[in-house]
Amino acid sequence: MRGLTRSTLIGFVLMLIVVITGALFLLGGERISQQQTQVTQTTPPPGETPVVLLGSGATFIHPQLDYWAKEFMKRYPNIRIEYNPTGSGTGQTQFMQKVVDYACSDPPLPTKRWQEARSDPRGVLQLPIILGAVVVIYNIPGFEGKLKLDGETLALIYLGEIEYWNDERIQRLNPDLKLPAQRIIAVHRSDSSGTTHVFTLFLYKASNGKWPKTLVEKAIEWPVDKTGRGLGGKGNQGVADLVQRTPYSIGYVEFAYAYIAKMQYALVKNAAGKFVDATPETIMEAAKNAFLKLPPSLEDDFNEAWEAIVFPPGENSYPITSFSFILVYKIYPKEKAEAIKKFIEFINTEGQRLIVPGYVAIPEDIRRYNLRALEFIKEG
Amino acid sequence: MKARRSFHDILVFYTLALPAFIIILILASLLLSQLGLSIPIFSVQGLGTYMKTVWKPMYEPPPHGAYYGLLPAIWGTLVSSVIAVLLALMFTISLVVFMEEIAPKHVKEAFSTIIDLMAGLPTVLYGIWGLAFLGPLLYKNVMNSIYTYFNFIPMFSCEPLSGATVFTAGVLLSIMITPFTVALVQESYRSIPYTYKEAAWSLGMTRYEYVKLNLSMITPSIVSAILLGFGRASSETAAVTLVVGNAMNIGTCIFVPAYTISSLIANQFAEAQDFPYMLNALFAGGLILLVIGLIVNTLGVFMLRRVRF
Repeated sequence: MRGLTRSTLIGFVLMLIVVITGALFLLGGERISQQQTQVTQTTPPPGETPVVLLGSGATFIHPQLDYWAKEFMKRYPNIRIEYNPTGSGTGQTQFMQKVVDYACSDPPLPTKRWQEARSDPRGVLQLPIILGAVVVIYNIPGFEGKLKLDGETLALIYLGEIEYWNDERIQRLNPDLKLPAQRIIAVHRSDSSGTTHVFTLFLYKASNGKWPKTLVEKAIEWPVDKTGRGLGGKGNQGVADLVQRTPYSIGYVEFAYAYIAKMQYALVKNAAGKFVDATPETIMEAAKNAFLKLPPSLEDDFNEAWEAIVFPPGENSYPITSFSFILVYKIYPKEKAEAIKKFIEFINTEGQRLIVPGYVAIPEDIRRYNLRALEFIKEG
Repeated sequence: MKARRSFHDILVFYTLALPAFIIILILASLLLSQLGLSIPIFSVQGLGTYMKTVWKPMYEPPPHGAYYGLLPAIWGTLVSSVIAVLLALMFTISLVVFMEEIAPKHVKEAFSTIIDLMAGLPTVLYGIWGLAFLGPLLYKNVMNSIYTYFNFIPMFSCEPLSGATVFTAGVLLSIMITPFTVALVQESYRSIPYTYKEAAWSLGMTRYEYVKLNLSMITPSIVSAILLGFGRASSETAAVTLVVGNAMNIGTCIFVPAYTISSLIANQFAEAQDFPYMLNALFAGGLILLVIGLIVNTLGVFMLRRVRF
């Protein structure tokens, strides 16, 4: 067997490596995606196959939904709730493609997508299940107090028109403060985000026409960037980090984030002309005032309601508040219909008392409103 | 005479050839997929994709609603990379001359080890360091002084407001590519035949003249190091995203936040599919990055081959 020399052996080894690499290539992708979806897995009771409800969507609601899922699965061990925080947009797309059982999204489906979903035999229901808010953070060296701001001033800052902290228009809102003669650096999100969408919607509604409607989106071209005074950060973390590192800067982050990080944020003037602090109470107050704007049925388009909760009426409403939605179908296979009904019922009853710090429960009225979903969901 | 070929020789040959072909196929498919995925954006925006400064994501597709002009990002990429190679050139020449001509042997070895180590560090580490340390340092001690004394030069004419600027990105990139350019230049400096050096000494050259002569002999490799370094700098992502400021801005001043193509892709890719054509625009950015990379790397390798003794 001298014919089988070293080179043959090397050849075989190489061949083997190529084959194994090829095989891993083909299998690898699937493995990874399986791992990602099994984040909230628990062991089902023996002898029973659990019903799995798979969802994807907004990252904002992820910690809260995970907590709900954990508590829910303690009570119903044969149902498994899984959630992939892919971002609202991807969640909506996957919901439309019917590759998930439910989806979460910060904004409701855009009208066009909603029409498409409604005309589908499986239908769509959108439930506002949790409240969020956007707070304005700032870094003014030597100043520890609460700054007061309104929509118009914020719009002018992000338009690049207000350049200095001691601008007369900011000073007028804060007569007791001595603001520095320093340039303002406006920090914004560099990735696309529901936080940006809510914030720009607020700027549009609260700035007396200073902020154009075309700049209301989850990713926009920031006018302040062109002046060299705009900075972009990725995620709430990125924005908060930039604001903390950059003296004389201003930025906006999700309330839950600022709350957990114990950051100082500004009082914002609401539609009633009062400067309001963001607290769970003022945020819930905004939702109560937006309740009347909710559409008559869960099957309807929610865009108007979603816009109504930003800058709503009410003495104590925090003006930059938003709903976050869960999207479900009207028709499910038999076992899944039962499971999703139980989950929706849980979220809108007990779940609203199991709230992660920094998140805000929906008011009683909206819980009852959401529970009507149980009548819509059918087996099929 | 023809070499004798046995079965296992052929087997070895083909198994070795397979991965080599796969590599070529990968490059080809990379180019094709970048091109294929960018075509939709060119069909609606044409060359405006590379020529316009508007970056306006919207649900209404371009050119009437949204518009995706990559010029600010291309500009940011070029500016940060040019700053990077200029500074890296300075670092590289001083390091090579110091290590080859001045430093004692053990110092030289210590330097070599440190530089090799720097080349191997994860790029995101440089990014975090840049964000937390280098940026604030440059802002306080470098950019402000340059602005104060040289603000009549358009490049330095705007007041720096934070450490996150295209200048910081350039400096950070120069630090990141220096180990690479040093390796290239040092290699060819060492390969200068000893007879040339002896001849230089025997002519009674001063040390300065001697180093100058040596450097002039390896000019092609220095140029090649610049080009290859440029290729690296323009494609770096993780570190740059953290320090460049991520703002759509274009101008002559380098003390402002900006975007690079790679940082734009890193920031906006995740949800790009929600906006029609945005993903295609990002692929068009990838395409031009690939083209820049191919051009500078080809030129660089070509120059490297011109070093002959």
